Amino acid sequence: MPGGDFHPWLFFILAAWILICALGVVAFRKVMYSAVSMVACFLGVAFAYALLSAPLVAIVQILVYVGAISIVIMFAIMLTEVQDGAYELFFNRQVAFAAPLAVAAAAVLTVVLVTSDIGAIGDRALNPSVKGLSLLLFNGYVFPFELVSLVLVAAMIGAIVLARREEEKP
Amino acid sequence: MNALYWWLTLALLLFCIGAFGVLVRRNVIVVVMCLELMLNAVNIALVAIANFRGGSRGAGALFALFIITLAAAEVTVGLAIVIENYRNRRTVQTDQYDELKG
Repeated sequence: MPGGDFHPWLFFILAAWILICALGVVAFRKVMYSAVSMVACFLGVAFAYALLSAPLVAIVQILVYVGAISIVIMFAIMLTEVQDGAYELFFNRQVAFAAPLAVAAAAVLTVVLVTSDIGAIGDRALNPSVKGLSLLLFNGYVFPFELVSLVLVAAMIGAIVLARREEEKP
Repeated sequence: MNALYWWLTLALLLFCIGAFGVLVRRNVIVVVMCLELMLNAVNIALVAIANFRGGSRGAGALFALFIITLAAAEVTVGLAIVIENYRNRRTVQTDQYDELKG
């Protein structure tokens, strides 16, 4: 059973929620419906982090994914809305090959996972608290932290340079 | 069955759904969304393994935080490229990006 201080049914309801919303992202014909389904899926994943006793990751997931990334994606959808009958063919031609491939990959991975010894200690939750996580972040992992901030600045400048209009030349 | 197996099964199913979406959808923005689903699956696996194995003082949750940050950067740059492409070609369909076809 999926261990922790919660009823096991909670895990199965949550897993069904996440997977159904993920299937909705793939299967919805309208792009905006896909985006809303993706937001619901991200909320479910945040709930999964909370069940895995990682509350900081859950809050960051809601802030970054549900708050920021989904808004950016919806802006992109509304900026690139295509009217000329583009919805009539929303899967490409590889679907006949990709569907068996994805099912086979899921089956093989499940079999490998179930038959392997992953060496879990038990059902006890071992994730650190917010205090332990921040001590870890600002002691041992302070160099990756600074590096990530550099990557964020580079991505911000890159996005501005890419998406800027260029006709306002003197 | 151990607790970790259930969470890893959820993660791999989510990963396979995301990979399927990346392979089959024609709209580039939906492809980006399915990439995000795959990243979320990896994050679930990381946090679950850190929770039930507890190695290296729980750095798995920290790695999930780093991945979330980098995913935000990736989405920003990716969608900027999509919008720039749309401005030039008036399309977001992957099979119409065929200028480099030999």
